[in-house]
Amino acid sequence: MLILGIDTSCDDTSAAVVEDGKRIVSNIVSSQSDIHAKYGGIVPELASRRHLEMIMPVVDEALLAAGISLADVSAIAVCHGPGLIGSLLVGCSFAKAVCYARDIPLVAVNHLEGHILSPFLETPAPTFPYLSLVVSGGHTSLYIAEEYGKYAEIGRTRDDAAGEAYDKVSKLLGLGYPGGPVIDKLSEAGNPKAIDFPRAYLPETLDFSFSGLKTAVLNFLRKERGGQRTGSSSFILHPSSLLNDIAASFQAAVIDVLVRKTEWAIKKNRIRQIALSGGVAANSGLRKRMKEMGEDKGIGVFIPPVFLCTDNAAMIASAGYHHFLKNEIAGPDLNPRAYLQL
Amino acid sequence: MKLTGSSPEDTEAIGYKLGRLLKAGDVVGLYGDLGTGKTTMVKGIARAFGIGSRDVTSASFTIIAEYASSPPFYHIDLYRIERGSDLDDTGIWDCLGRESVAVIEWAERIGDELSRDFIKVFLTDLGDGRREIAIDGIHEEDWNNL
Repeated sequence: MLILGIDTSCDDTSAAVVEDGKRIVSNIVSSQSDIHAKYGGIVPELASRRHLEMIMPVVDEALLAAGISLADVSAIAVCHGPGLIGSLLVGCSFAKAVCYARDIPLVAVNHLEGHILSPFLETPAPTFPYLSLVVSGGHTSLYIAEEYGKYAEIGRTRDDAAGEAYDKVSKLLGLGYPGGPVIDKLSEAGNPKAIDFPRAYLPETLDFSFSGLKTAVLNFLRKERGGQRTGSSSFILHPSSLLNDIAASFQAAVIDVLVRKTEWAIKKNRIRQIALSGGVAANSGLRKRMKEMGEDKGIGVFIPPVFLCTDNAAMIASAGYHHFLKNEIAGPDLNPRAYLQL
Repeated sequence: MKLTGSSPEDTEAIGYKLGRLLKAGDVVGLYGDLGTGKTTMVKGIARAFGIGSRDVTSASFTIIAEYASSPPFYHIDLYRIERGSDLDDTGIWDCLGRESVAVIEWAERIGDELSRDFIKVFLTDLGDGRREIAIDGIHEEDWNNL
């Protein structure tokens, strides 16, 4: 059974065809990062306008790459939140219109469910129950995936998402947007123990906090660099071992917290498998440390390839397949929501 | 009016008190560097509208966070907006005034002219975890009568 998935929740326009919730037949992602780079992040209005231009060609390309037409599709799965409302509206309106015109069943998928289920697009896949850490620019949350459609949130960020901390620190260092890849790269050459940035473990909960870490980096730079700051944003740091050390020490602080809290969550819930997803799951340092922790504790760690960690419609099609099997069909009154609980 | 706080809890409490003085149509501009407690203050203001502290997180990523409270509450964060001309692309003008309450972090990004009617809150790091919080645009007697 073929499902066409559509995701326009943030800045990527994506469409994919997935067979039986597992096999990716096509997966097209049109990134907007060049458009948003000058703003140091996504600008919602620009994102929705770009989605509007891209949605038809991206869906066409997904069908073409799969070698099928709409007539071969059993259902269309569309992400209806959480995300930027203007962006979500483009995908949802498009999906509703096509489903209505071609009499195709419509399925609504929560973006976070897509991330949680993304490891099923790979083999070996986890078995229920497993712990899922979704970590991106907009989210940092821990879930227990009990079965298809049943997820319990056991922790989330109280302030900044981990990906957001990367973007803010990257901006402070004058490294631009997005911050994750560049800091990850610089970290390889730096000493992660050079600067002792704080780790907010919040030991009484499984919630996260990354706001203080960004402030600590700012205070370090103030001390180190004094007045050499352009306006209220960047410090001027030339490529140097200091820059590498800051990147490595910052990254170590983020990863320490993510890995340690995942470890606590496993212990507390007696779970033997972890899945990692979201844009920050593309970070090589985090992937490595999470795998090491799994080996050390005898825990199965499932990390999809990078293209399935970042936003993509294949995960929406995969999650949508399971809703379709349960006959959970959305009506023409489906409306996207910027804040949508799982 | 100038206040000082010595912890994030103090900042949150001052935010809550300010929130209780706000009415539909009010716009609060928060001014201050990274790490001075702006989002913490928003948590306090939002609490006065029945919005849970855990539900208010940084809005830097999405720029606009909307809460279905009564009146509707907008948490706006202009951290990533560097030029005045880019403001129009954010869609924030649709959120200000009318029947809603809006709180704007990094209100520095909005020029003097357009922010004339804002209630302004200036947060300054005094070191050792202490913050100076200066509020402009509310009556001190209203504050003291709370």
